[in-house]
Amino acid sequence: MNLLSQPVGLSHYLVVGAVLFVAGVACMATKRNALGVLLGIELVLNGANVNFVAFSSSWLRSDSQFAMGLEGHLVALFVIVLAAAEAAVALAITLNFYNNHATIDVDRADELQG
Amino acid sequence: MEPINWHTFFFLLFSLVACAFAVAVLISTNIVRMAFYLTLSLGATSGLFFLAGADFVGAMQLLIYVGGTLVLLIFGVMLTAQGPFISMKTAGGEWVLATIVGGALLALLLQTAFSVNDWHGPAAATPSHFGAREASSDPLTQPFTPATETASVRTASVTRGAKPAGEPSPWSEEAPRTATRLGMGLLGARVDLLEQHDDTLRHGMSGYLLPFEIVSVHLLVVLVGAAYLARAKRRARN
Amino acid sequence: MELSQTIPLLLGLAWLLPLASFAVIVLFGPRMGKSGVLSGHVATGAILTSAVLSLLALALWLEKHGVQEPQQPEHDSHGARRMSTVRRVTHVAENEPEHADEFADGPADRPRGIQPLFGSWYSLGTFGSEGASRFPPLRVEIGYYIDTLTICMFAMVGVIATCIHFYSLAYMHEELDDVTDHEVTLPDGHHLHRPGRFPRFFQYLSLFCFSMLGLVIAGNLAMVFVFWELVGICSYLLIGFYYERKSASTAANKAFIVNRVGDFGMIIGMMALWGSLGTFTFGGPDGVFALVRPASQKHHLVVPDGMVRAAARDQIAAGVAPTSTQINAWRQDGYGYGLLVIAGLGVFCGCVGKSAQFPLHVWLPDAMEGPTPVSALIHAATMVAAGVYLVGRFFPVLTPEVLLVIAYIGGITLFIAATIAITATDIKRVLAYSTVSQLGLMMLSLGIGGWLAGLYHLFTHAFFKALLFLCSGSVIHACHTNEMPRMGGLRKKMPWTAYTMLIGCLAISGVGIPGFLGLSGFYSKDAILAQAFSFADSSGHTLLLVAATAGAAITSFYMFRLWYMTFAGSPRDKHIYEHAHESPSVMYLPLVILAVFAVGVAWTMPLTPLSLENLLEQARPKGAQSAGQIWTDLTIPEEHASHEFHDQATLAATAMWVIGILLATAFYGVRSLDPEDVRVQFAKLYSFVRHKWWFDEIYAVLFVQPVLLLSRAAAGIDRRWIDWLVDRSAGWTVGVSRVDDAIDRWFVDGLVDRIANSTYSLGLALRGWQSGRLRRYVMWIVVGTVGLFVLISWFLELAVAGS
Repeated sequence: MNLLSQPVGLSHYLVVGAVLFVAGVACMATKRNALGVLLGIELVLNGANVNFVAFSSSWLRSDSQFAMGLEGHLVALFVIVLAAAEAAVALAITLNFYNNHATIDVDRADELQG
Repeated sequence: MEPINWHTFFFLLFSLVACAFAVAVLISTNIVRMAFYLTLSLGATSGLFFLAGADFVGAMQLLIYVGGTLVLLIFGVMLTAQGPFISMKTAGGEWVLATIVGGALLALLLQTAFSVNDWHGPAAATPSHFGAREASSDPLTQPFTPATETASVRTASVTRGAKPAGEPSPWSEEAPRTATRLGMGLLGARVDLLEQHDDTLRHGMSGYLLPFEIVSVHLLVVLVGAAYLARAKRRARN
Repeated sequence: MELSQTIPLLLGLAWLLPLASFAVIVLFGPRMGKSGVLSGHVATGAILTSAVLSLLALALWLEKHGVQEPQQPEHDSHGARRMSTVRRVTHVAENEPEHADEFADGPADRPRGIQPLFGSWYSLGTFGSEGASRFPPLRVEIGYYIDTLTICMFAMVGVIATCIHFYSLAYMHEELDDVTDHEVTLPDGHHLHRPGRFPRFFQYLSLFCFSMLGLVIAGNLAMVFVFWELVGICSYLLIGFYYERKSASTAANKAFIVNRVGDFGMIIGMMALWGSLGTFTFGGPDGVFALVRPASQKHHLVVPDGMVRAAARDQIAAGVAPTSTQINAWRQDGYGYGLLVIAGLGVFCGCVGKSAQFPLHVWLPDAMEGPTPVSALIHAATMVAAGVYLVGRFFPVLTPEVLLVIAYIGGITLFIAATIAITATDIKRVLAYSTVSQLGLMMLSLGIGGWLAGLYHLFTHAFFKALLFLCSGSVIHACHTNEMPRMGGLRKKMPWTAYTMLIGCLAISGVGIPGFLGLSGFYSKDAILAQAFSFADSSGHTLLLVAATAGAAITSFYMFRLWYMTFAGSPRDKHIYEHAHESPSVMYLPLVILAVFAVGVAWTMPLTPLSLENLLEQARPKGAQSAGQIWTDLTIPEEHASHEFHDQATLAATAMWVIGILLATAFYGVRSLDPEDVRVQFAKLYSFVRHKWWFDEIYAVLFVQPVLLLSRAAAGIDRRWIDWLVDRSAGWTVGVSRVDDAIDRWFVDGLVDRIANSTYSLGLALRGWQSGRLRRYVMWIVVGTVGLFVLISWFLELAVAGS
């Protein structure tokens, strides 16, 4: 109950954002499926969004004058837009790769190796 | 018994859901399930957005992110649905490596998250500049308010939660609407900073018109590029 | 153009034409016509043009200077000697009528309007600088000294060489194809079969003509020496023309080496001249002749200042000042005379070698190994005459002591060679020894003061000796043998050769009708004997007179012996007689031309005073003879004084040739006496003479064997010690080089290689990072990010902590 009565601060949001981010990075690092990597990318961006929004809120912090306010929201919006664009492009690449190689295993996309 | 801070409760709920499903995405091997878990995770994130007072962003998250991007990804999953991909497993060593590296990063971030004292929670009954700003009764100058919160939850939090005096909570009716401000900001008018006396905080009065345009063009480029990249081009190899 | 420019130009051209021919044949010889036959034509054309130019120069010279009669009243009694009456024709204004009493001073006072032309064409270099020593700098230059003697020599060499070139075109015919040399046997028993060398013969002949003419025209002693050596080389090349024959190559070596011995003396003489006088040039106010016989002293022989100073250098070094009075005092005391004698003797030494005088006469008979045209041109008419010519040219510098030495050496040579010629059976050997003997006669004549007589004989001898050699060549060509005992009766088969050779024999014997007419040899021998009588009378050296007279007799004897053995009698070898044939016209026509010259070269041109004798008289060196300073009782008589002995000389000469021809006819012509008897009776003497007085054997023991021994010892040292040393050092060098190589490969190369390899392997290793695996990249991004954060946080902490 103590837990539930404490107000939530910026740090907690940051924790969530961190978890999402790390999960996304781990997804990018471990998934062999190209779409899995894309999902990881979405997670990463999402975690970043959480961070932005958290920082923009003036109610979550003691020094509320340092809250980003509208900037944070706008940036989060842009991030969402760009995430969508990037997902589209990445998907296009993946489809192209799939068309050429009949697989979306990123381990097979190693022609640029040294 | 202390009164329940419902804000905290919902925060915990949403954050647990988001984190759990994010981890589920990580662990799962089935791409379809991964997509679904992600959907849920992103949905929970949008709830977090609402709780933080970013109503418009939260709405956009649901609309664009969940409803657009993830659907796109699911389409991609369907288009590349082949037998072999379902069971593309990662080797154990990679997991160890990912765990170590991810753990390191997580530790770092967590440590950073809790490093600043001011971030631990909202201020306890201290007057602030922000409060002075709220003197105006103009709904546009009011602090943010999540518009989707239920009144009961609101009042419950107001009555029970410790909140700074003189500062309307995000759930109060006086909380300003973000959508209007966001829209005006995108068009170039920063209506939220109209009576900002602090010069350092008057930065950015010019608005986000240019980024808006850039992003629009960017989207166009992406559209064309993606369409081109993904064209069906199976000539000799099938 | 002035004569002083025309004559050098003409003679210069005549001199250089054979060189051009040589160059052309060297470059293109084998390609000129079929087997190079055109090379012979080129050479002949060149020398013919040269002869024409020389005759042209002679004509121009005569036109300018004219010819004088020798102006002596005694000649009235001998007027019948000449075809023309005595005439005092003067063409030159400077000549004044002579008075008899002026002869007491000698011909030096007789004004000679003919100055020799001298000058320099091209300066090769200057040694020393002005004022560095008391001499002017020694200029070594290509220059000329032209007087009547020079032009006559040019004409003589040109004409004889032209005849010989024509003769050679036919004689060397077999060299146009491959030749089988029957005198060379290869180790496997076959005779040598070799390609023909026709162009090479004419190439050498051209070079020789160039060298000989250069020697004649030379204006300084250094140039003479250069061409001296050049004719020596040409002689070597031509004697050794059939070089595969051991005898020929040995003979060529012998000729060159023996000549070199003489040249050694010549260099000493040249050094004496240069060291004391500082010049080699003949003509000019500071030339050798002007220094030794200055005009201020009426061209009497004086020791030049330079030699006096050189001889008195001890006193000069001790501090006595060499003023002119002091120099005169020294000169009176005889300082420097020795140097003059050495100069003369040294130059004569060269002549001993070149003209095959005793003791260096041994090379000339062996030189007969060369083709007969070579023998005719070089070893009869021209090259061997070069020594006599040089003595004649250098006459002003020769002191009476030197002249007497020359005379005796000439006399000894004359006698030795004549005796050997009596017993020789090789037709060319007879002629070779005859040449040696006649050269001795010329030297004798020059030595006793008969300047004109000696050179006169040089000219006449050149013509009839060339004729004789070419005739013998014709005989050899027909009979394929040189040995006279296998010949006989050839005059029926080879009339042209026989009768031209007869003319030559008559000429060399000095046959003539006294008081009326004679062949060329008659006149020259007469002059020599006259001078010999004069000398014997004035100085008491009668031995030389006896030698000259006896020599004349022996000469006519062995020449007719040769003629009878070859052309008269019955053939001794049927095979040879069968195959004998007359030579083609291109061979016997030169014989005829030379026979004409042999008969008439000493005659006076009708209606003019032009004769060889008068021409040579123009070139007589100025200055009377004086008594010697070492042999003070020796005075060489003036040649004009020999005219009073003319009658005796003519009588003696006639007697000699009559005796000689009679004896020869008795022994070999009509065979009333048997030579075999003489041989048996004088067996020891015969053997001695037959073996050429054992000269070759003596020289072999004295000189050749020690040198060979020395050379074998040196070769042994070379092989055992020096070669060993060189091989060892080579071995060490190789070892050092191997060490260097190892160092180079291991360290230097190794270092570079190692750097390169490590760079490559580093690159190879770094390539692994580009795995192309996306997830790996992501991992590294995360790692990097974490690392960055950690670093930044540390630094921030440090900064925060520090501040």
